[in-house]
Amino acid sequence: MGKDECKTMLDALNKVTACYRHLVIALGSTSDSQNLREELKKTRKKAQELAVANRTKLTSLLKDKSISKEDRAEYERLWVLFSSSMELLEVDMKRSLEIGQDFPTKVPTRHFIQTGMTGSTTTVAARAMSVQNMKYEADSNIDTVDLRDLQTEITQVSQMMEEMEMKVQVAPWAVEAKQEAGAELKSNMSVGNSSVGVISICEEEPKEEEGGGSRDSGIASVCAVFVFFVIIAVAGVLGYLVVNMS
Amino acid sequence: MTIRNTLQDHGQRYRPRMACLKKSEKVLLEMQDPKTGLKSQPQRLVITTIPHAITGEDIIAWLADRFQIDTQEARSFGSMLVALGYIYPLQDHKRLVIKPDSSLYRFQTPYFWPTQQWPVEDTDYAIYLAKRNIRKKGILELHEQEHYNRLHKWMNHKWDFIVMQAKEQYRAAKERKKPDRVVFDCQERAYWVVHRPPPGTVTAMDYGLDRQVDPNSDEAITPDFYERIMIFTQQSIMRPRVKSSVSIGALVKYCATYNNHDPFLSRCLPSNPWVTDDVTYWTLNMPCVEIPTKMRVERWTFSFAELLSDTRGRDDFRLFLKKEFSGENLAFWEACEDLKWGEAASIKEKAEHIYKTFLARGAPRWINIDGKTMEVTVKGLKHPHRYVLDPAQTHIYMLMKKDSYGRYQKSPVFKDTVKKAICPDEHRFSCAQLEQNSKKRRPSLSPIILRQMEQEQRAKMAANIDITQLCRFTTPVPHLAVYSGFTDYPTATASPSLTFLAHTPACPSPISVALDSTSVSERRTETGEGEGEGNPAARAQVGGNVSKSRMALSLRRLLKGGCTPGTMFASLSPKCHSAASTSSRIQPISPDQPSQAPPRRTGNFFQIKVDIPPECRIYPIESEDEEEESRVASRGGVGAKEIICPWESLTTQNGTG
Repeated sequence: MGKDECKTMLDALNKVTACYRHLVIALGSTSDSQNLREELKKTRKKAQELAVANRTKLTSLLKDKSISKEDRAEYERLWVLFSSSMELLEVDMKRSLEIGQDFPTKVPTRHFIQTGMTGSTTTVAARAMSVQNMKYEADSNIDTVDLRDLQTEITQVSQMMEEMEMKVQVAPWAVEAKQEAGAELKSNMSVGNSSVGVISICEEEPKEEEGGGSRDSGIASVCAVFVFFVIIAVAGVLGYLVVNMS
Repeated sequence: MTIRNTLQDHGQRYRPRMACLKKSEKVLLEMQDPKTGLKSQPQRLVITTIPHAITGEDIIAWLADRFQIDTQEARSFGSMLVALGYIYPLQDHKRLVIKPDSSLYRFQTPYFWPTQQWPVEDTDYAIYLAKRNIRKKGILELHEQEHYNRLHKWMNHKWDFIVMQAKEQYRAAKERKKPDRVVFDCQERAYWVVHRPPPGTVTAMDYGLDRQVDPNSDEAITPDFYERIMIFTQQSIMRPRVKSSVSIGALVKYCATYNNHDPFLSRCLPSNPWVTDDVTYWTLNMPCVEIPTKMRVERWTFSFAELLSDTRGRDDFRLFLKKEFSGENLAFWEACEDLKWGEAASIKEKAEHIYKTFLARGAPRWINIDGKTMEVTVKGLKHPHRYVLDPAQTHIYMLMKKDSYGRYQKSPVFKDTVKKAICPDEHRFSCAQLEQNSKKRRPSLSPIILRQMEQEQRAKMAANIDITQLCRFTTPVPHLAVYSGFTDYPTATASPSLTFLAHTPACPSPISVALDSTSVSERRTETGEGEGEGNPAARAQVGGNVSKSRMALSLRRLLKGGCTPGTMFASLSPKCHSAASTSSRIQPISPDQPSQAPPRRTGNFFQIKVDIPPECRIYPIESEDEEEESRVASRGGVGAKEIICPWESLTTQNGTG
């Protein structure tokens, strides 16, 4: 059905937008590198393909006058999702152009900002591209070449968005969201464990509740280690006695 | 006066240039140099080590070294970098200051730097809050919850997108390694502390109002552009210039005078509210406070403008002028200010009102300005505009400044104020108290309430105007005419006129002139003129007031008691002609109750006056009609004769003055 297709494509676009944002955040920092630029380029291309596909699908659906009212409302909601994604993408692309121009990779006098991030962003890009491993095959001057492409792509995206607004008469404020407040808490089951770990190491300030968590977990781990050694010691003593006995 | 909405959007939607941002970015880039930049150390957390942490003292030392400044300034500079969001603290992340010890900081990634052209979007904030909600499993801080609810209400149409995007970003973040994840969380949190500060903190990103023109756009080079440049340079050439020695001298003098009074350059007693969050300073310096502070009183001695611009100073000055019986000067000046700054619709009536009260001959609060100015003003009042009273106002201002101001500073009123002025002790707050203060911050009174209070104050002052403080040239007859402008003046004219006489014995007061015969004749003349113009009002009033004439007669008897015969006769002499020439055809406000003048003395006096031949009258204008029989009958009552403004009547008055 048209709706499900649309939804899957929108989910894909959403995912790519989120990953693109993560990649742009890493620009200019110490985790920047040539690979990052290539990842950015690939993700961008993928995002654009998805955008175009989504747009054609949605415009054809919305132009169809014979659909029912609920369907129309649903398509309008999807349209708002799509346009919001595109807005985010456009802003991120513009910013990546700016930051990319400010932080060229090859100039030795220009140093990256020591933000503390040192790892690579391969996994994020892989997630965006929906592949297992990323392959890097770009030239060394990718940053300058890419920036020119980026500029053209930005103009393309802006034009597309203008066209969208002109052609499709959807009032975004009239759309009602299906999710209520706090909906993000519900479906994400994998939230639990790993996030606790993230919270605890984030700061060391004892005043914060997170700091309290860190202190607690620190104490917990110290206790665990202590108990472990006690058990080892007891086991050693018992073993020695057993050996002595025999 | 209606309250105007000050924030009117004239299409102002561009953020202004924020020059500090580009400059801070340069400094930050310099800090990254491995040889000459800051040395970083790894931050050891429980599970991992994260590199690139810098200590506060290192930052301050580097800044002091790089810019050759002292540590205090380097510290403020560092705090500014932190407040803008280029460096964020790792501990105590909500307080954006640099601590000169070993507390750790880290650089922010360029995406999260503050920029002028990319305003911080609410959509992003909503996504961030949703992510935080996921991470904290629904436990957000109070202000975050409030923001969340508000955004959910106002961005409801995008809420699906926000939830979806939050989940995706959360999942994408988990793809990175643990140390990077930690760093990313800290970065994002620091970004939002800068751009959505928690309550009780001050944000460095306040930039004032938006601008109409986009500062990032390039200006198109057209003929208009060049024309503007040409006009600008031509005007620069024609500009009057001041020698730099003179202007610098003035600047130095100003700085020396005001240095101690500047709350940011020197101490502010008891404490600077912006720094300590304690509002005692503002309460002690409110406009209508009983006892001013010593610093405030000292400021009044700097210049006359300072005295007038401070409401409390003006009140003090008004009190002094009241004692000197020249309060009309200040009242006139204030009325002119009101005209200048008031609504356009009320200009005409205000101008008339001012004329009737201050400028016309025989006005109750007549001010003393020279003839030329008076001529210019009266001519201008035919077509009143905002600045029509400027020459007169300037004249009076200079009069007050040269004359009354000096006497004010030596007067007992001022000396008393100086003696009573308070000098509060300086506050010494500990850190804990400062934090408490910042939590206890409350908004001040709403401007609507302040405006109402101001208006009440003004109405009260208008009602209590001591219109009885007649100037020397006013006809002090406690006559029964009432101005169209003023409505209720309960105070009697008599006692002030008595004291007035005591004060100015040498004054060839036209008080005597304002006696029955002359006044009545005047009145009749005016009435006659009024009738001649076809002014029905005067006629009606005159007719209606005949019945009150008896009361008027008796009142006048009582009230005239204060005039000594000597002054009376003196005033009747012809040489008083010039002095009294400006006196009125207009009668001052009539009192409602008779004064406390002793009733006994009036009889003879009254009769004497009756016999005076009309030629001795001082007023030049009304010389014709003399029927004294009719004077009793045509005694004006309350509101009998209004002042005719010159632009209202066709007859031109022989204005002198």
